[in-house]
Formats: sequence, structure tokens, C-alpha cells
Amino acid sequence: MIEDDFYRTSSQFRLWSFAEDSLHSLRQNTNRLASDRVRGALRRAREARQSANSSAVGTPNPNGNDADSKLGEEKDIECLTAEEEQDLVRYFCEQIVQLGESYKPPLPTIVRATAIQYLRRFYITNSPMTYHPKTIMPCVLFIATKTENSYMSLRQFADGVPGDTTADDIITPEFLVMQSLRFTFDVRHPFRGLEGGIMELNAISRGLGLPTPHLPNQTPDDLRRFISSLPPSQNTPTSSSVSDRLARAYHNTREILKSAAQMTDAYFLYTPSQIWISALLLSDRPLAEFYLDTKLGGSAQLPESHPFTHLRTKLLTTLNNCSTLLDSYKPLASDADAKKAMRRIGKKLYHCQNPEKANLAGQKRVPTATAATAATASASDPATPESEMERLAKKRKLEGGQAEKHDIFGGELVMERTKERQI
Amino acid sequence: MPPSRDAIVHRGDEDEVCPVCKSSRYLNPDMRFLINPECYHKMCESCVDRIFSSGPANCPVAGCHKTLRKNRFRKQTFEDINVEREVDIRRRVMTVLNRREEEFDSKLDWDNFLEQREEMIFNLVNGVDVGKTEADLQQYASENMRSIRTNQDLEAKEVSSFQERQNQEQELARIRRQAAREEKENERKEVMASREDLLSRLASGRPADAAAIAREGQKVLLKKSSARRSEEERIRLKQAALRGSDSKKPGQAAATAAEESGSGLIKGLKKIKSPEPEKPYDPFGGMVPNQRDYYTLRDHYPSPYLDPIRQDTRVLAGGYDLQEYYSRTLLEAFAGLGCFINEEVSKREASSLNAMKPVGTQGAAPAAGSSSQGSK
Repeated sequence: MIEDDFYRTSSQFRLWSFAEDSLHSLRQNTNRLASDRVRGALRRAREARQSANSSAVGTPNPNGNDADSKLGEEKDIECLTAEEEQDLVRYFCEQIVQLGESYKPPLPTIVRATAIQYLRRFYITNSPMTYHPKTIMPCVLFIATKTENSYMSLRQFADGVPGDTTADDIITPEFLVMQSLRFTFDVRHPFRGLEGGIMELNAISRGLGLPTPHLPNQTPDDLRRFISSLPPSQNTPTSSSVSDRLARAYHNTREILKSAAQMTDAYFLYTPSQIWISALLLSDRPLAEFYLDTKLGGSAQLPESHPFTHLRTKLLTTLNNCSTLLDSYKPLASDADAKKAMRRIGKKLYHCQNPEKANLAGQKRVPTATAATAATASASDPATPESEMERLAKKRKLEGGQAEKHDIFGGELVMERTKERQI
Repeated sequence: MPPSRDAIVHRGDEDEVCPVCKSSRYLNPDMRFLINPECYHKMCESCVDRIFSSGPANCPVAGCHKTLRKNRFRKQTFEDINVEREVDIRRRVMTVLNRREEEFDSKLDWDNFLEQREEMIFNLVNGVDVGKTEADLQQYASENMRSIRTNQDLEAKEVSSFQERQNQEQELARIRRQAAREEKENERKEVMASREDLLSRLASGRPADAAAIAREGQKVLLKKSSARRSEEERIRLKQAALRGSDSKKPGQAAATAAEESGSGLIKGLKKIKSPEPEKPYDPFGGMVPNQRDYYTLRDHYPSPYLDPIRQDTRVLAGGYDLQEYYSRTLLEAFAGLGCFINEEVSKREASSLNAMKPVGTQGAAPAAGSSSQGSK
């Protein structure tokens, strides 16, 4: 199918589609790495504090006591699990929806949906323990306003963000986020596909449907008769016209796409057209099945050997899996237990936040030249302490000052050396 | 019938005798002997004039009834009349069986062909199966007229180009020699001039500077000669490059226009492949633009939201076409419907080792970013 090949060229398919178990193992791995790093960082921070204390007091602690306290503290550090991280990310996805709602006029659905997908993609390879979602969330929303072509100025955007968030706070992690997104900003949403499908169904209901290229013996009249004689679904009143039914199905499907499709892993596991048809299956099953039959031939119409028969059975299992995934979603706001759990996770995160990554602004100011040396240094120890950065920067500044003394452009290198030797 | 061996063996300079008129060289010192490739009987020039001036006649040698013509008589090249005859036969066979090595499939076929040709020559020379061999040769010649002709042309061309190259090389060598001679002369002159200059400066200068001036003069001389040498080197290289480009083989056209030889005399000839006729250019590589597999696009879809746009000049003035919207939404409705990520992505990850490594949080450290992200 040529349409499928179109989709296979997209970055969403190439880089951001995962098999279910590989997505799981990817998250576990991220979580494990991040927890190791958090433990290491906290231990280092504590040691630094202790040595400062001991030097201030001037009396060295007895060794046994020191080891005891260390052992006791080691137990304290309890990191988030991968599942808790996922819940946290989902909470912040819902926050994005609310934040988008709070603007006047509210941000378009597609901007919010893109931002949510950015956030989800970001936290596949990053852990909330390393970068708190609180700082990343406004940034992804701001990037999404730009990539989805509904730009607003940064100051205006920052005004809408609750709390004392400054414009600088929002764009500080921008490069970091883009890097983690692997600079792929294209998110394929199911919304436009839904528009197209409903548009075609509307045309069919008025007897304007054209036959599918591979099933040339469909006639517009047949299609119209089929669609008007469909059995009613469980959530539609029996006495409604076809166009009413389509409008209701459209509305319900869109609601599912706006909430469940965003908050679950659907985008990673399924393609946008599979997502919207699964959502349509949830909101009006007979209609969705009829539509699929017009595209791939009904089970009765085609012989067993036809390639569509195989495709159809495979597609139906995939769509059913997808719709169970979408159906499993429950909004957090309506769930008191989930809210309580979220509060617990938040508290836990407060204790296991990586202290070396807390201040993003300080890290961003690293000049590029030292960043290169830091990169080599961090090959062994990825988290270069901030003090090290400052030391490097200071050193560079000092060197610069010395060079300027001789000549504004810096003297000739060889000459200078020989002169120094002569002196 | 070849002439008897006795006649040839007893052939002194003095007592050479014309077998026809029996006059000897002793009597007639200017006597020249001629032969006719028809029967290779030797006779003196005056006999040829006498017997064949008035048209074709029989060979005067007893027992030989070949009809000879005067214009075929020629001077003998080799002393041994047998060698003369073999060379003639060889030449004749070679002009007919003039296949070239590149026309054969393999080295073995080419060798087989050579052997076959030698055998035919041997047969003709020694009178074994002469009739059959001649018939074969005749048939082959008539069947492969065209390829024989092209091969002859090729050979002629090769000979002429070889000669041309030879001439060119000689000319170049001459030019080089002349240049070298001039060069030597110039050098000699310069050396003389600088020596004179040195002497005059020594004469006019103070005695204290003498050593310095002499050293300087030596240096100038050396510098000049080294500059000249590098210049020469440059020119030589240039010429060599020119020669290299010239000496590309002229016309290596594989003129394999051989007809399928009907008699099958020669085996193992390459099949002639006529090039496939080029297909007309297809810019879409076999795809039909706007062809889709899941749906057929209509010109118009009824919709209460979109229909007003069709008449709205404010929208249409910018060039907006609702058709774009239709095709895009319908394409997105079905793009990827048949992509089963669970299957395809795991297959892709298995096939490519560097598909997607779990990067962890280290990849996002801003300082280390460029290195770790680049490696993905």
C-alpha cells in the first residue's frame, strides 16, 4: 500500500516507534542509569558537606562513626521506579492540557498534543529524577507553539505560566530538550486523519462514495444502502439520521484522541491512522467496521487467498489491541487514589532529585570551548561537577587576560616564545 | 605437381639452366627466373614473354597441364620453392580465416581456432584432403564475407595507426635531442658569461672582497643551473603526460559483426549481444501520480464547514485549493494503516545494530551532548 510507504519515511516511524517490550526495557534502562547517578551524586554531596563540617570544627571524626552514618544514609536514598516515573510524566501531560487551556485564546489542540508527545519522547531517554518535569513542561509547550505554527512571544508565554517562572527559565532547557528529541519535531497526529475519514463517510452517506481502487465493483448506491442500514451502536439512539450519527461519532472519537491517545503510549506503539480508527471503534463500532470493510473488503466478499484477507485479520487484532489501550485510560482528576499516589511520588521525587542537575541555568552558561574539554572529561564521569566548570571558566578568563597584556591581537606565537627564552 | 627436387638442388649460379629453353646463365648473364603460383614451375623471363604474350597457354613443362597467364608471373622471394608455395597458401588462408582473439569466448576457443587454421594450411601444403579443405574455405568465405571485410579493415587500421605512432615517436625524439643540444649550448654560454662577470668584478673590486665575490659567483651559478634543471624536469613531465594520453589504443571497437556461420566451421565465437532498446523515460519510476491504494479522491466532498470556502474570494485569492485539503486529510487517514509497528520495528532493530541504543540520561547532559548524540 503506497500510503503506508509514505508513513514509513516519517521520523515518527523511523525513530519514535517502538515494539512494546523494547519500549519497556528502554524505560527500565533509563531509570536504572538515572538512579545510579542520583545515588552517586547524593553521596558526593554529602561527603563534600561532611568534609566541610569537619574542617570547620577542626576535630576529625572517629572512623567507625563515619562509616556508620554513611551506611544509615545509604538506605535513605530511595529512587523512583520506572512505573512511578511514567505516572509522573502522565501527570505533567495533563498539566500541559490545563496550561494550554489557561491562555486566552487557548492554545490549539494540536499544539498541546505535540507538546505532550515531546514530553513523552523526552522522558524515554531521560528520567524525571535527572530533570524535573516541572522545568521541562513549559519548555516543550513553548517549542510546540513554534513547531505547530501558532507562535506567541516568549514574554507573553511566560506570563501565562503559573508561579514565578521567568522567560529565561522557560528557554534554558530548550536545547537540551531538542537534543533529546533528536531534532525531530514532526509529530504525526491522528486528528487530520479523522477529519478525512468522516469527510469520506459523509460523502458515502449521500451516495457520493467512490469505489476503493482495489475493489472496483462497489457502487455508490450500494455503499449508501449499507451505511444507512447499519445496526445501531450501543451508545447511539436508534432513531437518528446517518449524518447525526457521523457527527456524534466524530465528536466522541475526537475526545478520545485528545485525551486517551495522548496520555497512553499509543503514539509509540501504533500509527496515527490505526489510532483514529481504533478510537472510532470505541465510539461507534458498527460504523468503523463498515468503513474498514469498504476499504479492505468484507470477510464474506473476498476469497481466503486474497492478500487483503491476511492484512485484514492482522489489522483487526492490532486495532483491537489499540482500542483496549485507549479504553484503559482514566483521567487523573476523577481518581482520588491516583491523586494520592501522585502526591506520594512528588514527595519521593523531592528526596531523590539529582542535586547536580538541579540548576540548569548554571550549566547552560558553559562556554563552548570548555564544553569540549568537559565532554572529554565526562566520558568517564558524565556528570561533571559544576564547580569544575566554574574553575575551567575562571582559568580561561585568566589566560585571556594575560594574553591581552602583550598585544591586542596576541603577539606572534613563535616570536613570543623565543623572546621569553632570551629574557 | 611440384617441380622435381633435383632441379632445385642442383642450382648453381653459373650452370643455372632454364628448364624450358635450356639456355644457361653462362650464355645469358641477365637471365631472370619467374614462377607462377599456379604450378610453381620456374622458367626464364624470355620464355614467359615468348609463350604467354599472346594470351593464356599451357605450362610448357612436360606433364604439367595447368593453364597459366602472364600477369600472374612474379619473381621468386624464397630460394626454396616449397617455402615460397607455403607462404602463398598461408597468406591466402589467413585472409579468409581472419578471426581475432577478442571475438572468442575463451582462450581455449581461440587456441582451437588457431590449430584448425594451421591444420588447413598443412593440408593444403601437403596435398591432404585438398578438395574438402578448399570447399570448406570457399563456403566459409562466402558466408562470412562481412566479418572478413571488417576484420580486414581493422587490421589495416591497426597497421596504419602503428606506423603513425612510430613516426610520432621518432619526431618527438628528434625534438628532444634538439632541445637538449640547445640547452647545453645555452648553459655553456651562461657559464662563460658569469665567469667573465666574476673576473671583471674581481678586477675592479678591492682585494679584501675577493673571496666573498668568488663565493657569490659560485652560488649564482649553482642557483641558475638548479632553476634550469627544475624547469626541464617540469617540461619533461608535461610531455610524458601528453604522450600517455596519446597512446590510448585507437579504435578498440569490438567489431563482432560475425554472422552465425552456417557451416559451423569455427566454434566458440562470442554471441553478439545487440543492446536492449532503451525504454521511454519514466519520471515517477513506475508509480502513477495521485494513485492511492485505500481510497479514490473525489473533486468535492459535501461538508457544511468547507463548502463556504469554495466560494470565499478572500480564501481563494491567495491560491488556496480545497483539493489540497481533501488529499491531505485522506492521505493522513490511511498513511500507516498497514504498518504493524510491533513487527516491523523489532525486525528493523534486529537487522540494524545501531538502530536505537538506550541512551539513558547521560545523553542529555548538555555538556556531553554533542559527542553522545552524534554517535547515535
